[in-house]
Amino acid sequence: MMRDSRPDPDALLAGLHRETRGRLKIFLGAAPGVGKTWEMLVAANHKRQAGIDVVAGLIETHGRVETIEEIGELEVLPRSKIPYRGQTLEEFDLDAALARKPALLLVDELAHTNAPGLRHAKRWQDVREILDAGIDVWTTVNIQHLESLNDPVARITGVRVAETIPDTVLDLADEIELVDLPPAELRARLEEGKIYRKDVASRALGEFFREGNLGALREMALRRVAQRVDKDVTRYMRAQAIPGPWPASERVLALIGADASADNVVRHAARLADALRAPMVAFHVERQDDNANVQHALDLTVQLGGTVATTTTSDTVTAALNYAAAHNITHIVIGRGTTRPWWRFGGRTMGEVLTRKAAAYTLHFVPVPASPAARVKAASPKPAWQNYAVIAAILAVVTLAGTELRAYIPQEAMGLIFIAVIAGAASRLGRAAGLVTSIAGFLLWNFFFLSPIFTFSVSDPRDVVALVVFLLVGIVTGSLAGRVRLEAENASARIEALRRISLFGQRFSGAATQADVLRGAAAEAAAMTAGGVVMLADKQVLQSPISEPAGTWLDDAALAAADWSLRNNIETGIGTATLPSVPWRFIPLRVGGSPVGILGAKPNGPPPEPLSQTLAALADQTAMALERVRLTINAAQTEARQDSQKLRTALLSSLSHDLRTPLTAIRGAAETLASAGPALDAATTADLLASITEDTGRMTKFLSNIMEMARVETGEINARRENLQLAEIIEAAVARVPGATYAGVNIADDASHVLADAALLEQILVNILDNAVKYAPEGSRIAISARRSGGKIALSISDEGVGIPAEDLPHVFDSFFRATRGDRVAPGTGLGLAIAKAFTEAMGGSIRAQSPRFDLPADGAPGTVITLELPPA
Amino acid sequence: MSPSLGTILVVDDEPQIHRFLTPALTAANYLPLRAERGDEALRLAAARAPDAILLDLGLPDMDGHLVLAKLREFTDVPVIILSARDREAEKIQALDAGADDYVEKPFALGELLARIRTALRHRLRQDNAEKPLTLGGLTIDPVSHKVTLDNIVLPLTKREHALLLLLARNRGRVLTHRQILTALWGPAHTEDVAYLRVYIGQLRRKLGPEPAALIITEPGIGYRLQDGE
Repeated sequence: MMRDSRPDPDALLAGLHRETRGRLKIFLGAAPGVGKTWEMLVAANHKRQAGIDVVAGLIETHGRVETIEEIGELEVLPRSKIPYRGQTLEEFDLDAALARKPALLLVDELAHTNAPGLRHAKRWQDVREILDAGIDVWTTVNIQHLESLNDPVARITGVRVAETIPDTVLDLADEIELVDLPPAELRARLEEGKIYRKDVASRALGEFFREGNLGALREMALRRVAQRVDKDVTRYMRAQAIPGPWPASERVLALIGADASADNVVRHAARLADALRAPMVAFHVERQDDNANVQHALDLTVQLGGTVATTTTSDTVTAALNYAAAHNITHIVIGRGTTRPWWRFGGRTMGEVLTRKAAAYTLHFVPVPASPAARVKAASPKPAWQNYAVIAAILAVVTLAGTELRAYIPQEAMGLIFIAVIAGAASRLGRAAGLVTSIAGFLLWNFFFLSPIFTFSVSDPRDVVALVVFLLVGIVTGSLAGRVRLEAENASARIEALRRISLFGQRFSGAATQADVLRGAAAEAAAMTAGGVVMLADKQVLQSPISEPAGTWLDDAALAAADWSLRNNIETGIGTATLPSVPWRFIPLRVGGSPVGILGAKPNGPPPEPLSQTLAALADQTAMALERVRLTINAAQTEARQDSQKLRTALLSSLSHDLRTPLTAIRGAAETLASAGPALDAATTADLLASITEDTGRMTKFLSNIMEMARVETGEINARRENLQLAEIIEAAVARVPGATYAGVNIADDASHVLADAALLEQILVNILDNAVKYAPEGSRIAISARRSGGKIALSISDEGVGIPAEDLPHVFDSFFRATRGDRVAPGTGLGLAIAKAFTEAMGGSIRAQSPRFDLPADGAPGTVITLELPPA
Repeated sequence: MSPSLGTILVVDDEPQIHRFLTPALTAANYLPLRAERGDEALRLAAARAPDAILLDLGLPDMDGHLVLAKLREFTDVPVIILSARDREAEKIQALDAGADDYVEKPFALGELLARIRTALRHRLRQDNAEKPLTLGGLTIDPVSHKVTLDNIVLPLTKREHALLLLLARNRGRVLTHRQILTALWGPAHTEDVAYLRVYIGQLRRKLGPEPAALIITEPGIGYRLQDGE
């Protein structure tokens, strides 16, 4: 069936609107100082060098040296001076920008509030006007300025952002580029005074720029962009009415190595893929020395909508080229060669090797970033007894060495050595290990090193003081080091959480059914906690849960919490203000802001912040996947509706033709007889009368066929299967089809009886014979034969007619199908074979058509064989 | 038997249609020719130069529209479409492509014969374009742009006059919206059907009830001025 791909008019209209407007690109940052303006200027200078008329309408440099340098030769519009309460404010000059009418205008700080008295209150309104004037605009904004994020940002950072932009402004953007900088790097920049003056910076470091804040903001920005990408995909799918992935002619491959440029390679590839509307694949050859850079780059790939392919081999270039060839890659993105071992091939960089070998691809080289970021390496947790065994071993070694070297090491220094061990144990193994180590160290120091040695008693009163101080220092050091470790763990948990979210998003972008999504979400929640459950709502009532592990059971209190979550669109259960005694956390699944169901997870105790956020993100992703599935199903239903529409049209056209033609003939003949009766000779009169009779018969047959098909379609056929003698039925059918010449009826001895319904079988044969007569030239012969074939009776009707074109063969049993040869087709409804098929299947048999016949000469009429297979009696 | 009024080529792949049209046309003093396929129709149209052609659009070997287009390459013989398909778009396409008229199956024999007469008469009329036309009490003078009803001059605008004249010159034939709009307003306005409706409304009002009834609306297709025979 042809797929009707009429695009959604709304989506097309939105696209059209975008065409006439200027294009808006937003450089979105997670926090001030990540380098949005700088990034925009770099890109703008590229454009300018490419000959585009770029003008900087307004750039806020904040006195940052890097930014000022990057303005370079860009034309900068003078600012308008607005007198305000005795001072002069400098503002973006909207009218000058409109008058200058460049191809591309840069307007920094989209969330800025204009000075009173200007045309618009907000800068984003200026930008909208510029876009309407057909000028492309690039602008920058930080995630915390988004209206919908105002509350969460205030909650997380403790700072209420006054300058906000409506979320719809973000939707106006044709492109959003996330300017991403890891929090540690941003803090480093801040400390170096690259963002604010040093005195301001040190205050900022303790407040807004806390690492936790930055992490949260960055996550928000990532999620926002991920949603946006999803929306774009959905919009595109709707506009093109395609449910599947794009059939793209361009494909981008990013080669990921273990060097610092891996992220840049991915970002560049993603931008390229975006511009080309092409899919992106990150390709990585796994090696021993893979580090966090690789994992981060691969995660980033998934976040940016790409897919990941990894392999293991020693010959990286060949593996990459094989992959590229097998997957129709057109562009390869690679980091500019570094001295990293992965890139080196006999003294040449990978880039050089590829330049020689990959002549069929467009190669893109991405520069190495100036200051590569140190990344957190995820440590794998070890079981507790191992930790304590390690501590015991270290303490034993230290004690043994101390006693052996007693002559050289003063007993006070031994105390310091133990403190060092405590700090090390706490930072590597956690706070509990630190405490245990400090007590053990305290006892060991006392027993082995403080006189009198080998007792727990102390002779010198000063040693008592030393011991107490030791214990205190040990405990404090241990817990401080332990907290550092906890923060590191949190950081890696956050990264792990982000990875999970992105993987989930990737996994379910391909999920075909709602059940897949629900099961996946429950499993994902269960993997993070002790149990997961998803419930969809129908008219505000929760349906039966899908849970993981299977059989997870919700008690009444939990159900009440789930219900509350759904009805009030808030999170409930453990760790929240609503029903915190329930051991579950319930999160509403929101589609377009309103809940369609809930996601539940059963954490061990109140979930820490990263887990809560991850669960919230999981709920987001689940809701989005559900929406996507719903859209896909809608598309399929639309297609089905269009199919049935086509069927109705076919029926109408069939009715039109098959009723009108005989009616025309009857009416014409009758009127001819009436008006010219006396003038006609006897033979003509007889012929006209005969034609009336014949066409009445045609119409009767047509109507009875329609009735039969209606019976088939309402499932009203009851096949009574009985032992029938085939010869009898054939005889009856042949008698009902006049005008046929038979080559003979040939029934094998072991095929003489079938199990079938006499009336239905006879009708089937009549329909097939009718068709044979219709499509065969006069005088050609029809052969009927029956034989046993694989436990069934095969009954074949062969004609010497025009045959069936190969492309029509699969459709001959469809309702209203007729070979498309004008409406000449001998009278019929296009229902005969469809009825034959329905009847055959109702009797547990099967039917098939074959054309041309193999037993006829190749140069003659092709002929057709219809074969019925029925169970033997 | 009186002399033949003309040769009519009937192109239809349904034998039943020929079965009654042949005696019916003969009885009405025409000479029927029979074709069941497109190529056959073209051959007969070229060889026998019929006075009118009845053409069915659904033919086994080629599309009826294609047959019409090929006919129009060498002859302006009146073509009446016989179609079982009551789809407006197809009829309009055929009329725009140069068909003179259409009848829908199942048609009344009397109506078909009337359409054939109109088509044949229209052929004879083509030369005297300068002469005033009379329809019932209506006289249309193409030279002085004057329209009189029972000798009273009607206050028609230039456009209304042109519209009436176009319909009158093609009386009995259906003219599609596109044909009228092209003739009066030029090819740029072929989609402005609403415009045309307004003019037809004004024209009918000015003509008065009796002549107004002569202008017949063919829903979805166009207009026809009834032949006052």
